[in-house]
Amino acid sequence: MKRVMLLKQHVGAPCVPIVHEGDAVKRGQCIAEPSGLGAKLHTSVTGKVAKITETEIIIDADAVQSEEYVKIKECESIVDSVFEAGVVGAGGAGFPTHIKLKTELVDGYIIANCVECEPVLSHNIKLLEENPLIVINGIKYAMEATKAKSACIAIKVKNKKAIESIKKALDGIDNIEVKELRDMYPMGEERAIIHEIFGDWLTPNQLPLEANCVVLNTETLANITRAVEDRKPVIDKDITIGGKVKNGTGSNIFFQMPIGTPISELIEKCGGIDGEYGEIVMGGPYTGKAGDINISTVTKISGGAIVTIPLPEYDGPLGLLVCACGADEERLRDIAAKMKSKVVGVTACKNVEVIRGANKCETPGDCPGQAQGILQLKKDGAKRILISNCSDCSNTVMCCAPNLGIPVYHHTDHVFRTVDHELTRRLPM
Amino acid sequence: MSMSAEHAAELKNEVAAVCCRTEEGTIISAANLEDPNIFPDLEASGLMKIPENCLKIGQVIGAKLMKTIDSLTPLTSDLLEGIVEMKEEHASKEISQPEQKAVLKNNLKAGAVIEAIDLENPMNFEKLEDSLLIKLTDAVLTRKQVIGAKLLKDAPALSVVTGEMLEGFDAFVPEKAVEVQAAQAVQSTIVGGLLKIKIAEGKGIDIEVPIGTGSSVVPVKEQASSVVEVAENKVEKLEEKVIRTLTRKHFKIEKVEMGSETKVDGTTLYIREDILKNAIASEELVVDMKLEIITPERYNEYSETIMDVQPIATKEEGELGEGITRVIDGVIVMVTGTDENGVQIGEFGSSEGILDRNIMWGRPGAPDKGEIFIKTEVKVKAGTNMERPGPMAAHEATDVITQEIREALKAADDSLVVDTEEFKQVRRPGKKKVVIVKEIMGQGAMHDNFILPVEPAGTLGAKPNVDLGNVPITVSPLQVLDGCIHAITCIGPASKETTRHYWREPLVIETMKDEELDLAGIIFVGSPQVNAEKFYVSKILGMTVEAMDVDGAIVTTEGFGNNHIDFASHIEQIGMRGISVVGVTFSAVQGQLVVGNPYMTSLVDNNKSAQGIENEVLENNCLAPEDAVRAVYMLKARMGGEDIKEAERKWNPNVKLNNIDVIENGTGRKIELEANEQSLEKSKKRREIYEVEE
Repeated sequence: MKRVMLLKQHVGAPCVPIVHEGDAVKRGQCIAEPSGLGAKLHTSVTGKVAKITETEIIIDADAVQSEEYVKIKECESIVDSVFEAGVVGAGGAGFPTHIKLKTELVDGYIIANCVECEPVLSHNIKLLEENPLIVINGIKYAMEATKAKSACIAIKVKNKKAIESIKKALDGIDNIEVKELRDMYPMGEERAIIHEIFGDWLTPNQLPLEANCVVLNTETLANITRAVEDRKPVIDKDITIGGKVKNGTGSNIFFQMPIGTPISELIEKCGGIDGEYGEIVMGGPYTGKAGDINISTVTKISGGAIVTIPLPEYDGPLGLLVCACGADEERLRDIAAKMKSKVVGVTACKNVEVIRGANKCETPGDCPGQAQGILQLKKDGAKRILISNCSDCSNTVMCCAPNLGIPVYHHTDHVFRTVDHELTRRLPM
Repeated sequence: MSMSAEHAAELKNEVAAVCCRTEEGTIISAANLEDPNIFPDLEASGLMKIPENCLKIGQVIGAKLMKTIDSLTPLTSDLLEGIVEMKEEHASKEISQPEQKAVLKNNLKAGAVIEAIDLENPMNFEKLEDSLLIKLTDAVLTRKQVIGAKLLKDAPALSVVTGEMLEGFDAFVPEKAVEVQAAQAVQSTIVGGLLKIKIAEGKGIDIEVPIGTGSSVVPVKEQASSVVEVAENKVEKLEEKVIRTLTRKHFKIEKVEMGSETKVDGTTLYIREDILKNAIASEELVVDMKLEIITPERYNEYSETIMDVQPIATKEEGELGEGITRVIDGVIVMVTGTDENGVQIGEFGSSEGILDRNIMWGRPGAPDKGEIFIKTEVKVKAGTNMERPGPMAAHEATDVITQEIREALKAADDSLVVDTEEFKQVRRPGKKKVVIVKEIMGQGAMHDNFILPVEPAGTLGAKPNVDLGNVPITVSPLQVLDGCIHAITCIGPASKETTRHYWREPLVIETMKDEELDLAGIIFVGSPQVNAEKFYVSKILGMTVEAMDVDGAIVTTEGFGNNHIDFASHIEQIGMRGISVVGVTFSAVQGQLVVGNPYMTSLVDNNKSAQGIENEVLENNCLAPEDAVRAVYMLKARMGGEDIKEAERKWNPNVKLNNIDVIENGTGRKIELEANEQSLEKSKKRREIYEVEE
């Protein structure tokens, strides 16, 4: 049984292997270290190093595996424990957590990002419902490390059960408060949360520090607790498998699956793919990308995998409206090709700013107006458009495109149609 | 013949049998399997018997054969190793939100059968409509309507499903139509289910006679009567309107004698002794003619083939189709004849023989028992019996005699009227508007009809259907009942409509009387000889019916075989315009349909014969009142959006009886079933050809 440990599961440079081909390794053992910005990498399985490439360490795992692991060394500080455990932002970006925790936040805040913004993905909320303490303790450790005087748990108001469960666990703690947010995409985006809580927009290249806070995701906080209390490195990941699987289109949640587990195995655990499918979306409906069922594995930053129905065919000229909050141009072109449409024009939302090679939105969830872009696409010959906007911007698009006689697809449609989720279009008045 | 893998995949739920001898150890693939479409024929002909535990194609492909078997052996679990467990089909009948519109969730190909999982969740309809990706018009079917239906063309995801995309989906009748319809019970019939050939633009029509189709009549469920009351309140304001009236004055004749002049004297009709001279002289092709008065005592005598049965009637006031018509009760004119060589005037099917063994008494187109026949026996020039002028001459020569009787009837004293009958042509605005299309013979020879003579059932002033190009001609129901058709069709005598048939046309009477229906008119359309012409006339028919803006149509035909090509095309032309359509024809065993199309889902079989055949007994398999009732109720069912059950593969006379039961139970109306040839002594032909006793 081969298991692939990717050398880059975080922001920064790839890790440098510290084991050699043929070495015996035990689950939890560190096998690669960061060079520069990065985080330590540990093997999630016991076995022998079969091969090392530039991008991955392949381990020939023993047939029998246990949940036991090699503990990280005892550390004096929380930051060191977090570094040793290789904790990175588990919500998708993979920013090394120990760096965030080195920040001094005098009079500042720790913000627990429990928004779990992507529909379908639900393992974070489930964790909060079942074990809120592991997250709350993580907040406490983060506060201790950064000297933040208080913290705030940002969660969507719709997650009533989780809120109730958190509030119960917070009984007697007065420096952590729960902040209930509206159910909008992309409420979970770091700067959107900060805006929602503090009312000010950070520019796309400002870090949360400038708002005197550090934002940490639910599972990242749990991983801090695991590192500090159990001396457990990040070798397992919570993940949601959803969509067109035989167990039903509901979300199948897997807690603590060893990193490197092929996604196909998890899909099989859900009964396998139910009939014909369109894509395996790795991640959430908005920001996920099409994965390859034969290659994709669980990583430190995997949110989920969603098996979708085939994309609707539209054999005509299509215009793409790119937004920073959803799919990028490459992803939209991928979807357009799967729809068998011909892309005749591409335009970006006015709010898109390219920061270090990635699209960032100036004001996520706050629309700058879309009519100009739509008119441009129409001029380019688009008979229909495919958009990747957030809730608010999609609403704006819906206020103009249909009036121009242009039908609108959203890049999340096929995912939402698979799982019977409401489509992203006009917002309720 | 073996199947392709694609074909096998489509038919994965059909039973599996090998096409050829297959050796032990063979891994079964599509190439080893016979196309299951032919199994019913093979079963019918005794070539194979499919056991109940026969496996499905989807189960056997990839399985290993454990012993060598011969061709057409059905595959069962004891013959195979490694049978594939087929995934349980999604419960396609169980569907949530059945009344919501059907929008495809998946990209489907032509031929795909729509299942529940192929349909989009209605929760997002509003957003999809708002995004202009779908448009939910009235034409879009509901989820429950499309489940199990087969797509006729490729349709991408997010297509709305409409009737024309689906196979066999007739004109979609919106649900609300049911409210207006006021049937207490509905029934449906379907006949001759094997629809193998599609008519394509009048080209390349092969007539393939499939084995073992037949007719069947399948009842559908009753409708709540409470709906009826609501409907009637709604249309209260629209008033019925009498368009025209036809009065028939009946003169009773008890004796027919030859005399010095033609006259009506009390209840005796005298016919001028030398009348035949004029009759023979009137037609060049008529070489000789006999006139016989057949009274009931002479019913056991031999007669040449019966070419026609005609009422004797004349106009007293008004034109044909309105005003007053005088008619003689108790006497009919019967045309019979041969050519000089004694060959029957008839193509394939003639009713010569002992009269009372070859006549189905009391049928609309036949004599009633007890009536006196004024029977001509016309001898036409040798060889003209099979050409158009011969039979026409026989009819016209006979009409010389009838015309003289008409004149005498016109002059008869009004005090001799024993009965009057009044027919009203009523339009009922607000009710379901329907039209009756009667396909009539127009192929020439003895396949012609004279249309709209001056005198009822006469020949003078009428134009032959063939000369008119067989194009659709619209008349009023009262013109039909006043004898606007003089029929020259009586070959295949069991299924051809005589002149008297139109005079007593049961479907016209039934529809005209039905207060739930608004009968727009009757269209006669000829059945030409050449296929190209058949489609020419059916296209015109389609436009004519379209212009009438009707809700439903009943298409009848006479005979069987060749005429079924236009019959099918007429139904298609009407059906494709979104109009509910019911077909009426003789079918059963011998008259099974050789062509078909997706609109031929609702058919009534005129067969009465015990064997389901044309047994050359006059009028035996013609449209009778019992058939008219079934046709009208079936049309109501169609217009009410009811589905018609599929026909059984083989003709099963019980299906019709079941339907009669459904109507009788639903309406409380007693439907008289006609007697058939079994009530008669066997004719020579029946004894020697059709019902030979061992």
